[in-house]
Amino acid sequence: MNPIPSASEIDEEASDWAARVDARDLDVEHDPELQAWLKGDARRAGALLRAQAAISFLDRGRALAGAAPPAQAVPVADRPSRRALIAGAGGAAAALVGGIGLWSARPQRLDTRLGEIRRVPLADGSLVAINTKTALEVAMKPKSRRVVLKEGEAWFQVAKDPERPFVVAAGPVRVRAVGTAFSVRRGDEAGAGVDVMVTEGVVEAWVEGDPAPRRRMSAGSRIVLASAVSPAVAESPSEIERSLAWRNGEIALDGESLEQAARLFNRYNSRQIVIEDPVLARERFVGLFQTNEPESFAAAVAATLGAVVKDDAEVIRIGRARIS
Amino acid sequence: MKQSRAEIVAFVGGQILPHEADVRAWLRRSGSVAADIDDVIQETYCRLAALDSIAHITSGRAYFFRTARNIAIEKIRRARIVRIDCVTEIDALNVVDDEPSPERVVAGRRELGRVQQLIEGLPERCRQIFTLRRIHGLSQRETALRLGVTENVVEMQSARGLRLILRALSEAAAQDHSVVGKAHEPHSVRKRD
Repeated sequence: MNPIPSASEIDEEASDWAARVDARDLDVEHDPELQAWLKGDARRAGALLRAQAAISFLDRGRALAGAAPPAQAVPVADRPSRRALIAGAGGAAAALVGGIGLWSARPQRLDTRLGEIRRVPLADGSLVAINTKTALEVAMKPKSRRVVLKEGEAWFQVAKDPERPFVVAAGPVRVRAVGTAFSVRRGDEAGAGVDVMVTEGVVEAWVEGDPAPRRRMSAGSRIVLASAVSPAVAESPSEIERSLAWRNGEIALDGESLEQAARLFNRYNSRQIVIEDPVLARERFVGLFQTNEPESFAAAVAATLGAVVKDDAEVIRIGRARIS
Repeated sequence: MKQSRAEIVAFVGGQILPHEADVRAWLRRSGSVAADIDDVIQETYCRLAALDSIAHITSGRAYFFRTARNIAIEKIRRARIVRIDCVTEIDALNVVDDEPSPERVVAGRRELGRVQQLIEGLPERCRQIFTLRRIHGLSQRETALRLGVTENVVEMQSARGLRLILRALSEAAAQDHSVVGKAHEPHSVRKRD
């Protein structure tokens, strides 16, 4: 009789399978041999996920590094041409993500619904975090990587590839990067403009058809382009990190007015917050909340500002307590 | 909405696995023995593998700690061995660093350094293959051609390297993560030389 295999024995078998899945681009859900192995022991599914995650973790390294490692890390003298490298990179990444955005000329559509936040690896090794109610189109081509932000907000961690510029288009605004991380948000209202925040590296931003020179922005800077007011680059690294708390499904408030805070929550939830009192609406608030928990925000406001909350299925009304 | 396996694998690779060494270290401090820790970690990944969607997980690190803690407590209860230190064990498991905070941002550069370190720690042939495959993004076929070996060799070496990397990931003392976490180690004092 076979003894029960230990966790580490299962891990070793899982490594073999993960390497095989990666090498041969196997379909985990439909490969009969692999499925048979998985069914043999309930623990194997976890071990396989872990081993595949390790491969993905290593690939994130490439996405983050972008650039090739020092030459001596490459063992053979005849380094492959840049094109071969790019093709290879695409192939490996495509194998990994199971066909998300292959080298097709047809753009890939990525949408999120109200309240949905997604992280999606792209075929070139870049990562995109997509905020609530957003529509994106991604077109990966041999000479360019192009994303059209039709509405909403997204944060991009761009795999470095100097020969294939990564350009995000949001209305007339263009943001170009070679290896960096930044977010682009289209305002909901007309004239709100496009908010660009850089979290790593350098980007170039401009407005199509505008004679003004392209602006170079580095990590920690932010600009609103194509809005009613004339644009200026602001340095605000901590504010940027706070604005991007949505990547963890959070809203971080640090002195926003209740009105602004309500607008933030309302971007994520069909249950809308209404601040009924104009004086209360200007009160400032600090706190960390989940994007999908407007009730917690309302409760916190009630507790700290002595407000009264009336809520039903559709609306959370926050009002001033009547002084009697 | 059901998410694709690729998305879940990418999430686990980016948000769960990097914290494994911390979770293991914390289980060790709570008094679990090595074999139990392996089981708890494996079961945590099993639960993740059973999920249709990871959209509800706002912090991978917090989720990892919380799930591991629940599994560890279940194991202690299941063991049904009434021991004097059982209660203490459960108490110890309550000290969890799982507070998500806005300033805990993706520390890309540090992560990159870790990946490079892991690959550099591999035996020569494995290291070459991992560098070509994972850093340069060559396919298995291209890698085999470059190194003048068969694809089979590349696959075998990949599996071997992966085993070593998984071991290293679970053993890493996670020094490079101490900045990311908070001062969450009331029971342990790390010596600096």
